[in-house]
Amino acid sequence: MNTVAAKTTAKEEAGIKSGRKLGFKKKLSNSLRYWPLLVMVIPGVVYLFINNYLPMFGLIIAFKDVNFTKGILASDWIGFKNFEYLFKTSDALLITRNTLLYNSIFILLNTTIAIAVAIMLNEVKKKFFSRFYQSVVLIPYLISMVIVGYLVLAMLSGETGFINKQLLPMLGIEAISWYSEPKYWPIILTIVNIWKNVGYLCVIYLAAIIGIDPEYYEAATIDGASKWQQVRAITVPLIAPVVTIMTLLQIGRIFYSDFGLFYQVPLNTGALLSTTNVIDTYVYRALMNLGDIGMSSAAGLYQSVVGFVLVILSNYVVSKRNRDNALF
Amino acid sequence: MGKKMTSFRGLCLIMLALVLVLSACSGQKNGGSSNTPNDGAAAGTDGKEQNSELKPYELNVAYLNIGTATDMPEVQAAVNAITKEKINATVKFMPIDLGAWQQQINLMLAGNEKLDLLVTGSGLNFGTQAAKGQLVPLEDLLEKYGQDIKKIVEPDVLKAASSSGSIFGVPSVRDWAADYGVLMRKDLVDKYNIDLSTVKTFDDLDAVFEIIKKNEPEMAAIIPEAASVAVVTSLVPGLIDPLNDDNGVLPGLDNDLKVVNWFETEQYASLLTMVRRWYDAGFIPKDISTNQTASEQLVKAGKAFAFMAHMKPGYENKTSLLTGTEMVAVRILPPVATTSSISNIMFSIAKNSSDPERAMMFLNLLYSDAELVNLIDYGIEGKHYEVKGEVIGFPSGVDANTATYNPNFGWMWGNQFLSHVWEGDDPKVWELQDAFNKAATKSKAMGFSFTVDPVKTEAAAIQNVKDQFKIGLENGTLDPVKYLPEFIEKLKAAGMDKVIAEKQKQLDEWAAANK
Amino acid sequence: MVNGKQKLFQIGLHVVFSAIVLMCLLPFVLLIMTSFTDETMILREGYSFFPSKFSLDAYAFLWNDKENIFRAYFTTIMVTLVGTFAGLSISSLLSYPMARKEMPMRKALAFFVFFTLLFNGGLVPTYFIYTQVFELKNTMMALIIPGLLTNGFFVLIMRTFFMNSIPVPIIESASIDGAGEFKIFFKIVLPLSLPILATIGLMQTIGYWNDWFNGLIYITDSKLFSLQNLLNRILLNAQFIQSNASSMNMSDISAGAKIPMETIRMAMAVIGVVPLLCAYPFFQKYFVKGLVIGAVKG
Repeated sequence: MNTVAAKTTAKEEAGIKSGRKLGFKKKLSNSLRYWPLLVMVIPGVVYLFINNYLPMFGLIIAFKDVNFTKGILASDWIGFKNFEYLFKTSDALLITRNTLLYNSIFILLNTTIAIAVAIMLNEVKKKFFSRFYQSVVLIPYLISMVIVGYLVLAMLSGETGFINKQLLPMLGIEAISWYSEPKYWPIILTIVNIWKNVGYLCVIYLAAIIGIDPEYYEAATIDGASKWQQVRAITVPLIAPVVTIMTLLQIGRIFYSDFGLFYQVPLNTGALLSTTNVIDTYVYRALMNLGDIGMSSAAGLYQSVVGFVLVILSNYVVSKRNRDNALF
Repeated sequence: MGKKMTSFRGLCLIMLALVLVLSACSGQKNGGSSNTPNDGAAAGTDGKEQNSELKPYELNVAYLNIGTATDMPEVQAAVNAITKEKINATVKFMPIDLGAWQQQINLMLAGNEKLDLLVTGSGLNFGTQAAKGQLVPLEDLLEKYGQDIKKIVEPDVLKAASSSGSIFGVPSVRDWAADYGVLMRKDLVDKYNIDLSTVKTFDDLDAVFEIIKKNEPEMAAIIPEAASVAVVTSLVPGLIDPLNDDNGVLPGLDNDLKVVNWFETEQYASLLTMVRRWYDAGFIPKDISTNQTASEQLVKAGKAFAFMAHMKPGYENKTSLLTGTEMVAVRILPPVATTSSISNIMFSIAKNSSDPERAMMFLNLLYSDAELVNLIDYGIEGKHYEVKGEVIGFPSGVDANTATYNPNFGWMWGNQFLSHVWEGDDPKVWELQDAFNKAATKSKAMGFSFTVDPVKTEAAAIQNVKDQFKIGLENGTLDPVKYLPEFIEKLKAAGMDKVIAEKQKQLDEWAAANK
Repeated sequence: MVNGKQKLFQIGLHVVFSAIVLMCLLPFVLLIMTSFTDETMILREGYSFFPSKFSLDAYAFLWNDKENIFRAYFTTIMVTLVGTFAGLSISSLLSYPMARKEMPMRKALAFFVFFTLLFNGGLVPTYFIYTQVFELKNTMMALIIPGLLTNGFFVLIMRTFFMNSIPVPIIESASIDGAGEFKIFFKIVLPLSLPILATIGLMQTIGYWNDWFNGLIYITDSKLFSLQNLLNRILLNAQFIQSNASSMNMSDISAGAKIPMETIRMAMAVIGVVPLLCAYPFFQKYFVKGLVIGAVKG
């Protein structure tokens, strides 16, 4: 299997090298030869241009004091003033730390667990069970965060909650006031996040595993490789590109966080802010009464730029190791 | 994943809209340059002459969509018959849902969509809209075409709708003031022979709650006015003028126009001590901060005896319907009116309007034409309602579930006192309300609105600090001895002093201009 | 011996999955049970798997709005079907060439797509373009078009799948046999990619089904409301009546007092999710291992 991969890479490299050597004319004829491929991308490119690139002129709003009588373009430039509220407070460090730590943990745990579950799902022999399990793991993903907030409350509520009323007494532990103790929330939020999102990632990784040519496994079985060896030598390397791309995409959004998870699930409880306040919830609270579009675009731009820089860096690292797995 | 992000943004915005509609505080912002209305028709012409000169025009009116309005097309046609005759205009009603309001109005005002009149309010981002140049200043228009409005809405009151010295909205005529106190279950008050006449201050309530606590151990003696509001929060407006956002307030609604930090005052500290005492005594449920259920529902389910309330005449009757048991009101703080309580719901003219004069003429009709107001509020007589003596009600065979026009939004449309009274209410409810409004203590800063723009960075940071401490302190779940100093310190670090200084500066300027 | 080991392994798997199923399913069961519970019981005792008193009040309340709800179901189903099909077509057409080594400017194209994932101009400019240039406000298209590619996220995932699951020799040999690029794409690549198409299709379906944001900003005509928008609106209106009694008339307060707020939220979640669960097996049909690969190679 390794040799196959090596061969293809060698071939590609040759192709790329020769491609680089081609002159302009050759390049043009190359483009012409693959015109059908170019035609295929037209609808998508046009769509992205209209839906995403045209509105990007709106990024200037982050640097403007918008007055609609003058119009967006003619409004006054105010430099980075709209960004100030993100950095000026003592909370700035806390929310940045929370956002980064939570997202790093989520990326790590969600990916590992999703891959593990996907691999196990693929091993389930009975079709009925396999399909049943697949459906069930996706259910949490379909429930809105507002509802999840209520379900978590049903578990953790001080007086009527399942855990305080049923579980802790059974273990002989005294009731815990969950909504006033920030220290529990990193764990609670991580569990809720895994519960809700693993199914989604799992389905994607399962599709990748299903795409693996069964011949590899057949050959390995004949060679007497154990299940575990097969997973390590075949499954994991072959789904690595998909895992890489998913991880890169998640890194790009590392400064964004799931607003519902951090706002709805802790029920906006003030006492928990030290471990539940992240950039998105901070911005939401800050602008709730201000309703300033300049400041909200500033927050979005800040999050995007950081994510962008991180992805470019990680993509560089990835492409050093394997050009094919890189994003671009 | 991109999609997910968008939905959560959306979710924020829906939450935002809801919070803004249900609460009533907002930052006011700097009024930029304005859209000067065309100095078209000459002043002093009477209605008929105007009509012959006016070209037909369609007014697009955006308002909050509440309740049932299936028959709106029919009502709209009837409204148009009136407006066609009086101001040669037709009205296109544009109902917008509560949850979508903030989004859609912002987007409409940002673009050039057809929009002449819209509902605005201190809780609906009025300050920002005025400051960003999205609304038309109304002084000249009111002078020329709004004489009936000026007759009803006194200059003092009208000033509440101003931003940076210009008027940008016309408040609807409704409850402009509120008094503050506690609503209690009457059956239990009677059962335990509680003498409510001895309750003069909030501190007198301890004795009442003690009786309930002793006899009804399963029941909370006192809970906040609503979910996600704290016990103390809803009585504060009876004690101070929040000057829009309670970052810097006027205690006693006067204080010689000296702005102070409310959270540093003795009065605030003593309120917190009181509520902490209630919490420690077990009057307030331990998990109150995570409560998601409406207070009326909790009373209905037998989980609570009383809740805090800001009230108006007849309030306890309506609440009793929701709680399913008769409620008795203990009114502790007398009615007060501030800029915020008046500018809660208004109509404004959008900068998108191509005929602001006509928009003002229609607005004027809403304050003078009882037929029009009744039509909009209740629908067509005989079909949607029937006059039953002094009051009106559903025609026979129709009820709240089968009604085809029953929007319940009289408080939005102009002069509600022109409208009929619905059965079940006191037939004199409008007179009572009017008297109540007039009796209310008016803040000395009535008509001042704070422009938060110069200190918006600080205001943004302050909001996060408030979210961290305020509800906990004001529900008694946080010990004020320990956390109040921390709260004050973090507020200062977030720039509270700068905001107060700015507010004082603006208030002084306002006072000088309004001598 | 080997067989015994296999069996043990399978049993082990089922044990693990039973635990997972419990974790995923129990909260959902709690949700359903709550929607059938008498509201007063919830306020007194909290949520329970075995409520002491059942009630259909929540569903009865929603049934009052049945006409609107059925119309909203229709809108949502139409939008989901058209949107998923169109989105899947555009994204596979865009991602496949990016997966081909011969494609000119493929890295640049990937960057072009990736960039849209992070940067956006915000709502105001997007709204301008869709309402003023394309006049989509209050049309069903406004519910479909903004979500077609979900910012290129699926495009990049699909590209990776195409790069890894479609053996290059197959394309090369087809090309040598004289098949054109379109023929290769439709006759060979797509059939080989069914598991990916089904996955992305499922994601798009969920996205369209649960989307309410586009409805929130582009739709004011209640006849075009999607299910999520309608449910949000019913909930908010009910909350408004219950929390603003002072501005309601007596008849409405009495009616409003009967609304089971605690349970309609859950009932709404149930009627929102169940149709999606029913659609899931349709997608699973395509999660078939090694389809066609053998045939092409053989």
